[in-house]
Amino acid sequence: MKTKNPVRRSFLLLLLGGVIGYGLGVGLDVLVTGQLDFAAPLTGMFALLGTSVAYFFGLVGYWGITRGLVWQVIGTLAGGLFVSGIRVLMGLEAFGGFFFSEPAWVFGGLVGGLSFLVGVGAVTDWYKWAKGEPTSEHHHDPEGYVKYFGVSLDHKVIGIQYTVTALLLMGIGGLFAMIFRTELAASQLQFLTTTFRAFDQNGLQFYNTLMSLHGIIMIISILLGVAGMINYLVPLLIGAQDMAFPRLNAFSFWIAVPAAVLLVSALFLGGFDTGWTGYPPLSARSPVGIQMFFLGVFLAGWSSILGGLNLLATVVRMRARGMTAFRMPIFAWAAIATSLISLTATQFIGLSFQLVMFQRLLGMGFFDPTKGGNPVLFQHMFWFYSHPAVYVFVLPGLGIISELLPVFVRKPLYGYRWVAMSSLGIALVGFLVWAHHMFASGMNEYLRVPFMYSTLLVAVPTGVKFFSWVATLWKGKITTPTPMLFVLGAILVFLVGGLTGPPHGTISVDLHLTDTYFVVGHFHDTMFGGYVFPFFAALYYWFPKATGRRMNETLGKLHFWLMTPSFFVLTFAMMRVGLLGMRRRIADYDPLLGFDLSHLIMTIAGYLIFTSVVIFVYNFFHSLKHGELAEGNLWNSRSPEWLVPSPMPVHNYDQAFEVVGEPYDYGLDGSRYVQFEDEKIKDIEG
Amino acid sequence: MAHSDKKAVLNQGVIIFVFLTVLTLLEFFIAITMASVVLLVVIALVKAGLVGYYYMHIYRLNIDDEGGHDSYPYKTGTNRLGLWLFLLSDGFVFAGLAVARFNLLGLTRPHLNQTLGLIVTAVLLISSFFMNRAETSMEHGDRKGFVLGMSITLVLGIAFLLGVVGVEWPQAIHEGITPSSGAEGAIFFMMTGMHAFHVLTGVIFLAVVLRNGMRGLYSGEKHWAVEAAAVYWHFVDVVWIFFYPALYLIGTVVT
Repeated sequence: MKTKNPVRRSFLLLLLGGVIGYGLGVGLDVLVTGQLDFAAPLTGMFALLGTSVAYFFGLVGYWGITRGLVWQVIGTLAGGLFVSGIRVLMGLEAFGGFFFSEPAWVFGGLVGGLSFLVGVGAVTDWYKWAKGEPTSEHHHDPEGYVKYFGVSLDHKVIGIQYTVTALLLMGIGGLFAMIFRTELAASQLQFLTTTFRAFDQNGLQFYNTLMSLHGIIMIISILLGVAGMINYLVPLLIGAQDMAFPRLNAFSFWIAVPAAVLLVSALFLGGFDTGWTGYPPLSARSPVGIQMFFLGVFLAGWSSILGGLNLLATVVRMRARGMTAFRMPIFAWAAIATSLISLTATQFIGLSFQLVMFQRLLGMGFFDPTKGGNPVLFQHMFWFYSHPAVYVFVLPGLGIISELLPVFVRKPLYGYRWVAMSSLGIALVGFLVWAHHMFASGMNEYLRVPFMYSTLLVAVPTGVKFFSWVATLWKGKITTPTPMLFVLGAILVFLVGGLTGPPHGTISVDLHLTDTYFVVGHFHDTMFGGYVFPFFAALYYWFPKATGRRMNETLGKLHFWLMTPSFFVLTFAMMRVGLLGMRRRIADYDPLLGFDLSHLIMTIAGYLIFTSVVIFVYNFFHSLKHGELAEGNLWNSRSPEWLVPSPMPVHNYDQAFEVVGEPYDYGLDGSRYVQFEDEKIKDIEG
Repeated sequence: MAHSDKKAVLNQGVIIFVFLTVLTLLEFFIAITMASVVLLVVIALVKAGLVGYYYMHIYRLNIDDEGGHDSYPYKTGTNRLGLWLFLLSDGFVFAGLAVARFNLLGLTRPHLNQTLGLIVTAVLLISSFFMNRAETSMEHGDRKGFVLGMSITLVLGIAFLLGVVGVEWPQAIHEGITPSSGAEGAIFFMMTGMHAFHVLTGVIFLAVVLRNGMRGLYSGEKHWAVEAAAVYWHFVDVVWIFFYPALYLIGTVVT
């Protein structure tokens, strides 16, 4: 390894680590089973661990994330062996089908996740506090890219860590989607057949695992992307030096990394076939992989909860002088609404998964009717989070739309107060609609009608946002650089997602649409319109602020014009086959149903979307080094972060500013939003 | 409030404790004689309100802090808000467990040892009382009172843990209520288990704060860690204020 370029070195090490890990996995599997199996569960797991550890070792050495991963592996093994030892003492079988037994995997997975946090150094300061030792207020981050691979307390670093992790997970989830989308391109099984075998799963089981993992990995990716935007932007927008609790902030990010590792490891431990919802009784009978899924969601849930807590405290306590509630940027309002949900409701998905976990481990009959349990209770608890969760996903995105629209229209945001309140309104009503996912579940029938009306009520605050956007666009001086294109795309896509929602909320229609591809189409429309498009808009818009360089405009436009039409084709085709009777979450369909062609088109559209994201990723990394230098107020924004140099100084604003006007008064002569200290002095002297 | 007469604050703690004791006994007798669910819920709410206001000082969230963003009082205010948000979030876990309990068991309850239930409840309430004394002492710079109060709280916390996990659990299993015996057992062990886990973390928290307090790390002006430990400890108590009736008092035993 004489090469000096760390990226090249890390890729070389990645290959080496992968081969060594894979060899270790094959060897260990032979030891346990006595048979040579090149696609055994452990092979994939060890190959993955080997590659990632070696890769990060090449990049940053034995520090930060590398050390965390090594600790996670050691912790998992130690926890697993501990339980295995106890099992031996109790006279139970020590090892199971996937090397460890199920309880050993669960305990090992948990210990491994927590070990990661110790190894990476996310709890070091708290440990010092407990010992009564002083710690420094600020940490000095290492120079250059290295700081992104270890614990940093700077909200900007953490925001970028979140964002890049979200993009990485989006890539993994998208790759899974491409695999099963290919399988669906034509009826009859093509390659995920019953004779296919990988990681102890046949083709159909593998399809189910990929489909389930696509769901949950994308959801975690969205949560991290949301956290990334919030972490990076909110302190800048409200004029704070950092988040209220920087150590908690670092902890929230780093706990999501072992969570992602656990989720991916489910693929190798027999997978799981429940979809991301994990309904019992199916989840009570799935392979061990589902426990890794539960654990991963549990840890990621803590990331979300603590992130929400931090954001609320930050907005309440750290605003700049003069920034009253209705002079806050609209994105801060969206972040508040999102955080209120993730702070509270997330506990319910954690609890519901925890109960299934214990049902599997100790035979506790929460959802087992033969023991007096109730499977529908799970669905209530699960959706009490998982419906509001979709508002966690979309509210920040909708906030981004409202934030960027006035900049590119050069007009004040229409109905600022109503838009601010509509975010809270959506969050509030969102808590009261969960059972509309369960119209066909056999829950008490009298619950249906109230939940139908509460569901339709969500359209009111959402409509407020749409009216505001349309009215803001009206007679504006519209320019369309890439971020604005994505904002407009988001509005259109979210409109389709919004309009296809009420049919589901109406009981009579929903009973026919439940579990069809129509739901899949609707959901992807809301997620792309509410999160993916605004997320890309935000990336293109604030990339220069974070890096000091602009992203390539031509590639950005190519990205947009490739993605948007393909996406519309994809979801409209999904809804079409759904109305014709295509069930969701199945690996194959009857050719006589006559939607082979639609599926082929969907698959092609899916590949085009994937290609467009590849273009984005290329643009992202290329522009980091070679992008046009971004100087000054690039978008001619009124927001304070654009009034200081790019990339953002380490401690944000060298001098405090005071809010002296309305945030979105674009195009009004002489109006000001913020005033920095030295300007004030100038004003007084002048 | 921090500078008000120490004796008055301590006396107030005693009065609140007397109220809590009376209400707990009332609760117990209502359960035996009238089995009125509404009354039991009302009493639990009143108890939680008393602890929340007088022991946890929820009104302190509303204090307008003097000083800049970097001053200790302002930072403590931010920390306080963060802690309460955490408790709100954590409260949802226990609310979820209560929902599961009433969904699965309705107005029936497991057959448990009533005497033991009352004893552990009393132990936890008394520990809250001493926790309040410890915090009040530290607020007035009385380190001796702080150490005494903390130590008693810590011992009572461990006693509670032993009572639930070491005595109540084996007894229940002996009576045939096991984690896998049915919904009753599952609910009982999950609710007490989750609560015991929180008591355990609270005990660890108390031990850390006690040790650092004995080494003189806190003063009358700067003792956020003490306040945090106290508020968390009272929160665990408040959870039990609801779980005790939910498990021991509300509903009838089906055999």
